[in-house]
Formats: sequence, C-alpha cells, structure tokens
Amino acid sequence: MRVRGPRRQRGPSSDRDRSAGPTDVVPPDTVPVGDLGTLLDEDTATDSPWLVIVWNDPINLMSYVTYVLQKLFGYSKEKATWLMLDVHHKGRAVVSSGTRERAELDVYRLHEHGLWATMEQSS
Amino acid sequence: MSSPIRRRRDGRYLIRLDANARTVLADLARQLPEAIGARDPMVRRLFPPAYTADGQDGQEREYRELVDTALVNHHTRALEVLVDTAQADTLDEAEFLAWLDAVGSLRLVLGTRLDVHEDMEPPGPEDPRTAEYGLFLFLGELQYLMVEVLADDLPAEGRPEGPL
Repeated sequence: MRVRGPRRQRGPSSDRDRSAGPTDVVPPDTVPVGDLGTLLDEDTATDSPWLVIVWNDPINLMSYVTYVLQKLFGYSKEKATWLMLDVHHKGRAVVSSGTRERAELDVYRLHEHGLWATMEQSS
Repeated sequence: MSSPIRRRRDGRYLIRLDANARTVLADLARQLPEAIGARDPMVRRLFPPAYTADGQDGQEREYRELVDTALVNHHTRALEVLVDTAQADTLDEAEFLAWLDAVGSLRLVLGTRLDVHEDMEPPGPEDPRTAEYGLFLFLGELQYLMVEVLADDLPAEGRPEGPL
C-alpha cells in the first residue's frame, strides 16, 4: 500500500451535508422556509455525530496501530486488529464517534501516538 | 533466543542494547526537538491535520491553536527522556512509554524524509540514503519489540470501562 492522505478521499461534501440533515432536526412547520439555508450551514443545525478516522500510513507498524487502538479505546485485541486491517486494506477506518469535543479529544490522543487521524461529521 | 526487551517481575522494563545503538538513539533524539521547535517541514508528519474537508479551515485553525503547544511538549518531553535514559539498562513504565513515543517520532520523521512506502525497494549499497534507511529499520525493530511487550499486558478481551 502507498501513502494515502486524507485529502485524496474526502468525506461527504458539504453539499450532501446540507441536503441530508434538515428534516430530522427541524420540524418544517415551525421554521420559516427562508431560514433553513442559514440554519443548516452551521454545525449546530444537526446532531449527527463526528467520526474519528485513522488513515493508512506506510510507516507505523501494524502491531503498533493495533496496540494504540486497544490502549486508547479499550477495544478487544480482535476488534482493534479488525480496525487496523481495515485501515491497512481500505485506506481508512472509523475508530470512534461522538460529539465534536469527544472526537477532537480522540483525534488529539491519536496524534500524540503518531497515528494519522482526522475527523468528519457523518451525513 | 529471548527478546532483548522484556518486562521484569518487579514491573521495570529491561532493555538489552549495545552501547553503540544507545549512542545512536540518544544522538537522534537530541536533534529532533530543535527541528520540532523550528517547525522544520520534515517533522510535519508529527502534526497531522484534524479537519480536512472543504470549508473547515477555521475549525482546523482552532484545533491547531488548542493542541499545538501540548503536542509539541508531549513529543519533546518523550525525546528528552530518551536522551536522559539512553544508557539505562532498566526503565520504569513512564520512561518505557516515553521511549516508545520517541522511537515512533523518530521513525515517522526518518520515514517521511526517506519517502518510505510499503512496496519500496531498499536503497542499494551505493545509495546515500542507505545509512539512514538502516536507522529506520533499526527503529522499526525496536518499536516492534517494545509493542510486543506492552501488548502482552493489555487485556485481550478489551476494557469494559471503555475509552481512557
């Protein structure tokens, strides 16, 4: 496998985000239609969780990635190994999800451990 | 043959490395904090972006402002521990974890500089990168052996209380 950086495979585009969220969180009859666009441009317009993604990198050892996932998230060896293999074979894997704050903390801890992690809001 | 790295019954970590390897480790670890402080492009892999989607530049800037100092300190402190304990035969757990972090940082930086990828041909004997590639492999061996010891101590079934 080669270096596959986050920028090559993006998550959902902002356009798709905009079309996906509204009806779940804003009852249409209570909001003037004209306000929808403004509301949906903001993070707070939707409750969908943030996903923490680990990307494949050609440097970190497979056993090290597995160890970090076990250590940080308390995953079983089996689950951590599956996630690591997903990273290795598919180029990326979602390793945790939650609020934006939680996801930032997880990303930070993965960065402390030298893993290539990013976060994106699920659509 | 038993591994040159293991956890003793008293909880300390035993490291068998020759004096030359220890000197090399300390020298490498001594150089990196300066490059980190100067934000040399070769250390970029230690500071990956958190937000990469279109329109998230502002969030990425906030994230950097929030964590950069802590991340710099984290990596720098680990490298300092490696420098200070490079000659030690045994390490306590905090020192051992600092070694793991420092060795990982050194690998990431050397690997970035060597443009390491998984199906790359190792540089030939005449190649000027050969020595550095040798160091990269040595650090990989060390990381592998350290992870083996640490992974043994993690519960295979996971931690019921979840994330740290």
